[in-house]
Amino acid sequence: MELEGADTGIPGGTKEFKEVALKRLLAVTLMLILGVSLLGMAAGKVAVVLDVGGRGDLSFNDMGFKGTDQAAKDFGLQMIEVQCATGADYLPNIRNVARTGDYDLIICVGFLLGDALAAASTEFPNQKFAIIDVDYITGPNIMNFVFRENEQSALVGALAGMSAAYHGYSAAGVVLGIEIPVLWHFEAGFRYGMDWGLKAFAKHEGKAPSVNLLYTYTGTFSDIALGKAASEAMLAQGAVGVYNVAGPLGVGDHEAVAEAHGNLGTLYGPPYFYGVDANQDFIGNGFHGIASGMKRVDTACYMAVEAVVKGQFKAGVTSLGLKEGGVAISKVGDLADFILFGISGGSVSADDFYTIIANWAQNRSTIPGWIWDAVDTLEAGILDGSIVVPTASTGDQIAAVRAQYTLGAP
Amino acid sequence: MNENAGPEARRDADSYFLRAEGITKIYSDGTVALKKATLEIHPHEIIGLLGENGAGKTTLTKILSGLLPPTRGRVVSPRGPVRFASPREALDFGIGMVHQHFALVGTFTATENVALSHEKPFSLIRLAKTRERLEALMEESGLRVPLDVPVEKLAVGEQQRVEILKVLFRDVRLLILDEPTSVLTPLEVDELFALLRKLKEKGTSVILITHKLKEVQSITDRIVVLRHGEMVGDVRTAEATTERLAQLMVGKTLEGEPTAFELSAEQLPRALSASRKKEFSGEGILHVIDLVARGNTREIAVNGVTFDVHGGEIFGIAGVEGNGQSELVECLTGLRVPVSGTATIRGTNILGKDPRQIYRLGVAHVPEDRWRLGLVLPFTLAENAILGVHRWEEFQGPFGILRRGKVNQHVRKLMDRFDIQATGPNAPAKSLSGGNQQKLIVGRELAKDPAIVVASQPTRGLDIGAAKYIRDLLIEMRDNGRAILLVSADLDEVLALADRLAIMYEGRFMTSCRPDTLNREQIGMLMGGVACKEVA
Amino acid sequence: MTENPARESRLLRGVHRTVTGLHPALESIVAAIVGLLIGAVLMYIWGFDPWKAYWALLRGAYGGSYEWASSLARATPLILTALTFSICVRAGMFNIGAEGQMMMGAMAAVCVALFAAPTVLHLIIGLVFAAVAGALWSVVPAILKVSRGVSEVISTIMFNWIGRWLALYLAIYVIVDRMRPEKTLTVPVTARFPILVRGTDLSASIFLAVGVALVMYFLLWHTTMGYEVRAAGLNPTAARYGGIRSKRTMIISFLLGGITAGLAGATIAMGLPPSYAIFGGGAFPELTNLGFDGMAVAMVGRNHPIGILVAALFFGGLNAGGRVMQFYGSNPVPLEMIRVVMGAIVLAMAIPELIRLFPAIKNQGERFFAVLRRRRETRSKEGKA
Repeated sequence: MELEGADTGIPGGTKEFKEVALKRLLAVTLMLILGVSLLGMAAGKVAVVLDVGGRGDLSFNDMGFKGTDQAAKDFGLQMIEVQCATGADYLPNIRNVARTGDYDLIICVGFLLGDALAAASTEFPNQKFAIIDVDYITGPNIMNFVFRENEQSALVGALAGMSAAYHGYSAAGVVLGIEIPVLWHFEAGFRYGMDWGLKAFAKHEGKAPSVNLLYTYTGTFSDIALGKAASEAMLAQGAVGVYNVAGPLGVGDHEAVAEAHGNLGTLYGPPYFYGVDANQDFIGNGFHGIASGMKRVDTACYMAVEAVVKGQFKAGVTSLGLKEGGVAISKVGDLADFILFGISGGSVSADDFYTIIANWAQNRSTIPGWIWDAVDTLEAGILDGSIVVPTASTGDQIAAVRAQYTLGAP
Repeated sequence: MNENAGPEARRDADSYFLRAEGITKIYSDGTVALKKATLEIHPHEIIGLLGENGAGKTTLTKILSGLLPPTRGRVVSPRGPVRFASPREALDFGIGMVHQHFALVGTFTATENVALSHEKPFSLIRLAKTRERLEALMEESGLRVPLDVPVEKLAVGEQQRVEILKVLFRDVRLLILDEPTSVLTPLEVDELFALLRKLKEKGTSVILITHKLKEVQSITDRIVVLRHGEMVGDVRTAEATTERLAQLMVGKTLEGEPTAFELSAEQLPRALSASRKKEFSGEGILHVIDLVARGNTREIAVNGVTFDVHGGEIFGIAGVEGNGQSELVECLTGLRVPVSGTATIRGTNILGKDPRQIYRLGVAHVPEDRWRLGLVLPFTLAENAILGVHRWEEFQGPFGILRRGKVNQHVRKLMDRFDIQATGPNAPAKSLSGGNQQKLIVGRELAKDPAIVVASQPTRGLDIGAAKYIRDLLIEMRDNGRAILLVSADLDEVLALADRLAIMYEGRFMTSCRPDTLNREQIGMLMGGVACKEVA
Repeated sequence: MTENPARESRLLRGVHRTVTGLHPALESIVAAIVGLLIGAVLMYIWGFDPWKAYWALLRGAYGGSYEWASSLARATPLILTALTFSICVRAGMFNIGAEGQMMMGAMAAVCVALFAAPTVLHLIIGLVFAAVAGALWSVVPAILKVSRGVSEVISTIMFNWIGRWLALYLAIYVIVDRMRPEKTLTVPVTARFPILVRGTDLSASIFLAVGVALVMYFLLWHTTMGYEVRAAGLNPTAARYGGIRSKRTMIISFLLGGITAGLAGATIAMGLPPSYAIFGGGAFPELTNLGFDGMAVAMVGRNHPIGILVAALFFGGLNAGGRVMQFYGSNPVPLEMIRVVMGAIVLAMAIPELIRLFPAIKNQGERFFAVLRRRRETRSKEGKA
């Protein structure tokens, strides 16, 4: 009877009404407790702070946004993004968000935010933070995520070395940005991988190929023209392709590759473009990007949110490599993801989805299966720990790696 | 008198071209510039608009030509009320105005300026066609100007001719001229008046703003006198006497000399010669020998000029404007580097020195163009009062700090001494009337206590009172033993003031003598380039 | 032709007069309101709530001491770069080179990290370095103009690029922090401006900026040098007549401008927490555009040092408040939109001064009014007929 009354919303009397109200209150409370225990902090909020590069790069910043956004959706959180117009906005923006006290986690995407976060994390000891690409912030309230870029670069290096040898090119090129330690990881890994690839090629073909490494630190992460110029120089010196290790400069690198194809009259095949960070294989309609050394910023952001939601927040440095899915060499599945990503960002037309994948497959077919298998072998070796790719975080270390893997340099 | 009867006869009740009815103009600062002015303009008529500076002449004509809207009242044509939002609309209606200060694009040639002023936005400019018509117009009107030289390189008189051509180019039915003769020589004035008569015959109305009574009487049919914004007289020229007009205009008889310069220009040289010293025993201050200088278009503008100026004399240079006077003055004041020759002040060479060094030698310079050279218009009165002397110890304290107090004291002294009407030392110079601006410049220069005053067109465009005042100052300086080099296109002025006179024509002195040794006809011929011997 | 069109025209003419004859301060306020309205319309069109957004802007800019401090911190370098532009405008020239001069100044200031010195002295040395570097970078275009007649607009723009790349080279290869190569050496504590409000960016460099603005005011209006600079700017021929050496005033104004721009760079290197260093990585994210923003501040401040102080506070508020607009409540506005809105506001505020700087634009505007009026007239005539 009472339930009936409750259903119709017309309780029989004051006493019954009270009872119904109590029961409802109880039910709601129970559900809330249940919900919170299931989802951690159900009505929580996360913020992602991006550096001056901002959204729309289809790479670092977009991936940071994408990973956080995905995690927010999966765990039922509210998510905001905060961009910085200038470098002077870094610290104030982190402070502004932290001051509200409403956010369960603030993710800072990129090493440029390192100093600002180091300052803010001590000012707001009760606020949880995460930062990508920084390993030196020691506070108890901050997760540092770094990547073992040397691992992905080793795979790209192996592929580049073998494909150069296979196609009879005399070199493989790497265009880097400013000479910062993160980029040394890439260089060290690439050197090791290329050396490994050339040895694998020698074993397979029975003769040692002569392939040199061409690399340039352009000193910029923003001057696309400089990237193009550096790439053109490398291609002119017989490079089978260029590996972009300077974010936005990839646009210039790719332009150089595309123009080289125009001069050769070829549509696909060598010279190749090797992407970085995101899966950049779809650039140039799939014809030029042979593989990308992916650095899954989105995965790191997702992991950070997940850790907070599940109460597994762990201050300190989290290193993400092949094993953790933090870095990878691009596969067809990621390509589809990133084409969709490009479509959502407006830089790729939806109609081109299948064309790009077909073109990409055609381009990949210019490299024989045994080379791809060799790359897989290297990947498996890294994954099971039998192969340890050297890395470098200091000038001495990179000097040592350069001395060990000279790759044609005197 | 028959001249006037003609248009009179042709005039009938409805044939007026334009009528201003009860025009009142109050500026945003509260100044009442015009009070219920009513003026009917007929075809075949030249109207003289007479009045002192600030009487409202310019305001009235600006309203007629669409530059200003009236506060009250309206402008009516036989077809109904008209109003012009811009001078261009007024021009479309047939009203053109030539201002005292010209509206020319300095870097454009005369042809381009004329073309520019008549093109609609976004239309093609047809320079060749404009030039063709302009040449025809020049032939017809007798107004000749170089068509292919940027107008900034032309003399002021030539620039005015470009302005007139600009308006004539559009068959105007009412031509308004603001002080047109102040920059012209007698010959040019005659040419202009001939042109105006020609226009009148064709049916055009002309409004002539002036304060030169002689001119007004010689050319106009009707004279309208304004005083302090009010119309105090509207008389037919034939019935007006010089004395009556002067009285209407100034409202009182001037003190001192019974008549102003303009009232009886013919007698003036004699009237003033009483105050002229027969002998000047002053030392030679300025010596110029064989000075040669180029003008802005690289032509030889000053072609071998030699003269001295002594303390206690006024050396006058007369001549048609554009015959090298400006360049000569510029050479002597450090604004232009001459080609050859020497010029010394008390034995010190001044050629090629900059103005500051020359001022140190005791030179004061009243420039011919007070807006371009003499004043920094947006500056305050006080700031303008120290232009050129701002680094003097009196005004510059330690560390180059400007002694504002001293400067204000100085400007107040100038305001008292030279009768400069302004709201205070901090009034912007551009808010002053022309006369007060010129008094400011003259005052500033004379306050330098100079050995020599180079005065170029010192009374141009000023009303009678101001002009007389400035002339008196020059005489006073002369009597105090200073040397004065007076360059003026106003022949009467030079004749009245100069102890010695040179007439400049095409960069040379035609003669250099005492003014009373020449009669007006001789002077006119010399100014026109007819050499002295032939005169004799 | 009856009364009606006459009244319309009077109205139009009244509007016209009002637009062109306003008192500068009033004019700035009107322009700001117009800009805010344009921004509101833009936000409304793209589906954001303008009231909430502006409320966030206001709160974020001037809502409390933290917000005031943030706005002032942001205003600091802008005051100095605005002075650079305005001093040269006062001298009749366009110095577009604050950007490059400021970068050179920042690099020079960073050089104090190369040696040790006592607290205040270290700071002063850094400021002198910055001022000298800025002045050197500024005086070369001035000399080029004076000696060879090179347009200062072109040369300063070119010097911006040379300065930027030179500074980047220095930041990446020469005075670089070997441990953190994305940035330069860190300015030691002894040479930093102390933070004024804990937990904010506001450092004592604001005193430097305000002080320099006051000094510039004094220089321009109370010294013979400033008198000459202004005279040469307003009427070069009259200045020449007045014995003023225009070449000298040009060089002086560029030197002063370079000094202020250099100091602007120093306030970043020595006064902006947390890094107290310049980031070569990311290509000067904390310096880029400060010079150009300064030009806008100068125009809004009517090229007067005191006006610039007010305008810079307004701009600092816009920047600080804009940060908050991004995540305020239920109405987050993306940074891109915020920048569009700010662009509209800045443009609206700069237009009156732009008109003053370029009389040609004014003439076009007058012509526009005349055409507009004529059209109305024709239309009303047609209506009557």
